Amino acid sequence: MARMKFLCDAERCIECNGCVTACKNENEVPWGVNRRRVVTINDGVIGAEKSISVACMHCSDAPCMAVCPVDCFYRTDDGVVLHDKDLCIGCGYCFYACPFGAPQFPQAGAFGLRGKMDKCTFCAGGPEADRSEAEFKKYGRNRLAEGKLPACAEMCSTKALLGGDGDVIADIYRERVLRRGKGSEVWGWGTAYGPGKPGAQPPAPGAKS
Amino acid sequence: MLLTRKSTSDAMPQSRLSRGMQAALAKTMDRRAFLRRSGVTLGAGAVASQLPFSMIGEAQAKADAVKVEVKRTVCTHCSVGCAIDAVVENGVWVRQEPVFDSPLNLGAHCAKGASIREHGITHDSHRLKHPVKLEGGKWKKISWDQAYDEISKKLLAIRDDKEKGGPDALFVVGSSKHNNEQAYLLRKWVSLWGTNNCDHQARICHSTTVAGVAQTWGYGAMTNSYNDEQNSKSLLFLGSNAAEAHPVSMLHTLHAKENGCKVIVADPRYTRTAAKADTYVRLRSGSDIPFIFGVLHHVFKNGWEDKQYIHDRVYGMEEVKKEVMAKWTPDKVTEATGVAEAEVFNVAKILAENRPGFIIWAMGQTQHTNGNAIVRASNILMLALGNVGRSGGGCNIYRGHDNVQGATDVGPNPDSLPGYYGILPPAWAHWTRVWNVDPKWIADRYAPGMQTKPGITVSRWIDGVMEKNEAIDQGPNLRAIFFWGHAPNSQSRGLEMLEAMKKLDLMVVLDPYPSASAAMFAKVRKDGAYLLPIATQLETEGSATASNRSLQWREKVIDPLFESRTDQMVMYQLAQKLGFADQLVGKKDGKQNIKLVKGKGGEEPSMEDTLREINRGTLTIGYSGQSPERLQAHMRNMHVFDVKTLRAKGGKDAKTGYDLTGDYFGLPWPCYGTPALKHPGSPNLYDTSKHMMDGGGNFRALFGVEKDGVNLLAEDGSHPKGADITTGHPQFDHVLLKKLGWWDELTDAEKAEAEGKIWSTDLSGGIIRVAMKHGNHPFGNAKARAVVWNFPDGIPQHREPLYSPRPDLVEKYPTHDDVKVLWRLPTLFKSVQQKAVADKMHEKFPLILTSGRLVEYEGGGEETRSNPWLAELQQDCFVEINPKAAADRNIRNGEYVWVSSPTGARIKVKAQVTERVGPDTCFIPFHFSGWWQGEDMLPYYPEGAAPIVRGEAVNTATTYGYDRVTMMQETKTTLCNVAKA
Amino acid sequence: MRRVTLGAAVIAALFVAGCGESDQVVVYKQGKYQGKPDAQPWDNAPLAAGQLGGKWTKGDRTSWEEQIKNRQLGQHEHRRIYQ
Repeated sequence: MARMKFLCDAERCIECNGCVTACKNENEVPWGVNRRRVVTINDGVIGAEKSISVACMHCSDAPCMAVCPVDCFYRTDDGVVLHDKDLCIGCGYCFYACPFGAPQFPQAGAFGLRGKMDKCTFCAGGPEADRSEAEFKKYGRNRLAEGKLPACAEMCSTKALLGGDGDVIADIYRERVLRRGKGSEVWGWGTAYGPGKPGAQPPAPGAKS
Repeated sequence: MLLTRKSTSDAMPQSRLSRGMQAALAKTMDRRAFLRRSGVTLGAGAVASQLPFSMIGEAQAKADAVKVEVKRTVCTHCSVGCAIDAVVENGVWVRQEPVFDSPLNLGAHCAKGASIREHGITHDSHRLKHPVKLEGGKWKKISWDQAYDEISKKLLAIRDDKEKGGPDALFVVGSSKHNNEQAYLLRKWVSLWGTNNCDHQARICHSTTVAGVAQTWGYGAMTNSYNDEQNSKSLLFLGSNAAEAHPVSMLHTLHAKENGCKVIVADPRYTRTAAKADTYVRLRSGSDIPFIFGVLHHVFKNGWEDKQYIHDRVYGMEEVKKEVMAKWTPDKVTEATGVAEAEVFNVAKILAENRPGFIIWAMGQTQHTNGNAIVRASNILMLALGNVGRSGGGCNIYRGHDNVQGATDVGPNPDSLPGYYGILPPAWAHWTRVWNVDPKWIADRYAPGMQTKPGITVSRWIDGVMEKNEAIDQGPNLRAIFFWGHAPNSQSRGLEMLEAMKKLDLMVVLDPYPSASAAMFAKVRKDGAYLLPIATQLETEGSATASNRSLQWREKVIDPLFESRTDQMVMYQLAQKLGFADQLVGKKDGKQNIKLVKGKGGEEPSMEDTLREINRGTLTIGYSGQSPERLQAHMRNMHVFDVKTLRAKGGKDAKTGYDLTGDYFGLPWPCYGTPALKHPGSPNLYDTSKHMMDGGGNFRALFGVEKDGVNLLAEDGSHPKGADITTGHPQFDHVLLKKLGWWDELTDAEKAEAEGKIWSTDLSGGIIRVAMKHGNHPFGNAKARAVVWNFPDGIPQHREPLYSPRPDLVEKYPTHDDVKVLWRLPTLFKSVQQKAVADKMHEKFPLILTSGRLVEYEGGGEETRSNPWLAELQQDCFVEINPKAAADRNIRNGEYVWVSSPTGARIKVKAQVTERVGPDTCFIPFHFSGWWQGEDMLPYYPEGAAPIVRGEAVNTATTYGYDRVTMMQETKTTLCNVAKA
Repeated sequence: MRRVTLGAAVIAALFVAGCGESDQVVVYKQGKYQGKPDAQPWDNAPLAAGQLGGKWTKGDRTSWEEQIKNRQLGQHEHRRIYQ
């Protein structure tokens, strides 16, 4: 089995915020903390508007893990990046390091005060007894330990947000891209592989692109 | 920590890791950008906790002795009908899970459905928790008994007032969020009180659709289903922003699109739906008929119409063709709509080459003074293309609230008893029989002559209060109003509504939330209002009809919270005080139709028994086969239903042994005959490719046998598959049965009942059974009417809105003449339009103001704006304004502006400068309330029950304008100006 | 590998030695994480029947992965549409 991953299909995302509220609901996330949010590019621009849902990407080489001064991050065997809130000092280095803005800091009063870092856990809870009250209070729901997948991906209104085993996601997404003949260019495939025509074969190895 | 948002002007730090992502995100300035505050001040009210997580407190289940149940219910926020599995521990709703098995939503939810569990949270809830009364300007807590006592006394006093009172002095605004049983009981309740002055949200939503579409071919509902779009080749969204109003329907739409379906969106705004379209057309708000007929012009010109279909199944298309070819030439179309000829032609070509296809609409087409005509133009287009009555084609009408379809079908309509029977004597004869109520007793409850007169509509209740008494077509003015599950800020002319509230004797709000009614009333009055806390649809069981006409049964998730009571309980308990409780449950001569069951707070009518009564009496639209047992079996076995056809190929319910084979999910009406007949429901209306007992159908014979010598019945050979009568025929009655020689196929019991009756009043169901056995439609087999001669405009005419930005077009396409009495009130058209032109309103208010939905909120918004998970996403009311219009007025993005309208109202909202709208149009969402022309109305709400997010209601500023047939309000097109605050 | 002169190779070897090749796949190094231990999802017993959880054998990673991948197909509407 591959790592756990998220993929948001920009051709399908309609910015309905179902993923955002599903996460809030399932993990009882307080006001001001946004584990998942939807980003819209070219809002209102004819022909160019696209939305994607962003949360922690559970990077294989997580910058947050790399920079944490108290080493409170760890990665599970499924590739889910989690952290220990008891250790976290709320310094915010992970927030600097993360390119996706995943670390969140609940405001607890005066400007500039930060609480413990909070972020998307892939609905895998954290370093407390699985499915216990302590785990829920600190980290939210542990759906993986119930045999389920993250609430955001399961409730997405158009099945744009896919979450779970990376191989299965790749299969699903590949099928969609083939069916519609486009959509992958948002992810930079055009930069990596050259702009292609729908249905065209990739260039032979060694050929000039 | 603010939500990550990028603006075009912000410079992004170029770190190595993030450079790639930043380039893509450089031009991000979206609606979310208004989330400037992380909401500490607001959030402090929402969650008063310093911990990273709020505790769910009481919701925490103890490890021992935990009773865990899973209840299956349906989301209450729109008409798609997404199923939800609610996990309840010890009576507390702790989790919700998606239902992947559902054929309608496949487990998907939008923001509202994904957060619906909040309605079951008691910690820091903004719900109305106990009855309150306005006394000395303050909301004082009272008991239910005291509330009932005082309200009933006041009502009876008004009723008995010989000079200025009577039963018609009460207006009951019912709800499209009531389930079928509650809506049905409310219609009964109002009838037993003795008035037809009742209504619900459908008036201001799809009343024009129901009237216009029903008059075209028989039923005024969605012809197919959201699922059926997967079988389409083309979809034209004209007046629908499905991505925000019906997000989960986009699952079917986008799946279709990925399989080659062409999606066209025509809208004054570049909506989120348009962002997913293959083709986007920007047209001027209100110019739908020129656009549709412009498309039709090209269809006729190129001979793309389906001639055989028109010959067999349509009346009057020749007349329409003549008019369209002469009147709607490309230049006229461009002049009226602002759309270039090439674009119109392109749309026509796509639709013609990609059949079957749907035209999809919601408020964009309905909320106009000629809304009834616009929807008929859409029908004509689909008829011309031969799209109606087949899988993948027709008119997919997206209804709004979760049960607006059901409430329209069997609920509180001012011009009809349940089932569209109307209010003439035969309807009363039929329903008093079903209700087991003495017809003479009911007739005496009404003021003389009023029983058969359609009531006032919710869109005009304020005129019922304010208008001169001589001008109203009823005895008294309106003096008392019940807002029973209906917000006030969804109706236009808010300024005048405040004035009307000053004059009311009594206002009672029955709602889980106080709603803006409470705040508005308390702003101008010191007493005279009561707020009664009502349970949500998750705290009761019952059935709801989705837009595709499928009925879904909701299980009760939790008991009513706080001191709230269910609608049906309050109806019964109030009826006890007012003297018609027995009649409400059909108790007479030793028989009682609806038994009483125990609920929290007393006794209430059983929802299952009420549905059975609906089954017995609603024969016209086929609400007769959907018994509680069948519906519950469907809900337990959702996985056996196919998604594209909604049909169950097999399956047997484990609990009851019911065989599901052949049923369509939710038994979409019409599901004819008794439950024993086991009709499978009709997923696609008017479909002649199927047998009647397979869900097939044809157009209705409701308009006569011939008109001016032209045959109105279907031509030979056009009939449902396998029908015995292979030509057009009128509706079935005992006479026709006897003529055909089928009378003796009835049983003796059926004969006794059916004698002298027509198919829709024959309570035995025998006439229906025999007709369907022979494969023929009980309501006849006729042609659809392209010319609806009984309407003010037989062929749909374009008429400029009352407040139009184009006086030159007003002259070419003027509105209707004023009407002395329409739905009991004088209704102005021409005089308002002429005055607006004379006063040069188009110069003072040069921008078109249109309004619409946001995905995070629903309807009046007080319920969803009290949900912190939703409220956080949309914290300010705003106006979308084009960069040119903003620059001309020196307005910057994000700053407060005053939006003013011809009514003199000025509302203060934030400006969102965006290219979504053209330079001539502004858009304001209608879900907000709680501010009044710049003033926060928080002090006027009961303690602890104000919504988290409050803002200006756009309807405070909207103007006079009503549909000529149904009194729908013209909220999609009026005028405004915007100025810096 | 390009051929280098002996001197350059020695210097290059000095640079390289001690660093080790960087792993192509990030290997979790036990001992860096300082926090509390956490259990694997499959080491829990499945939820009781009727509580909508998945079904696997406690402790058996493969059975847990199988059922997760199966559940994940709920996000692929094709499975429900073409079942």
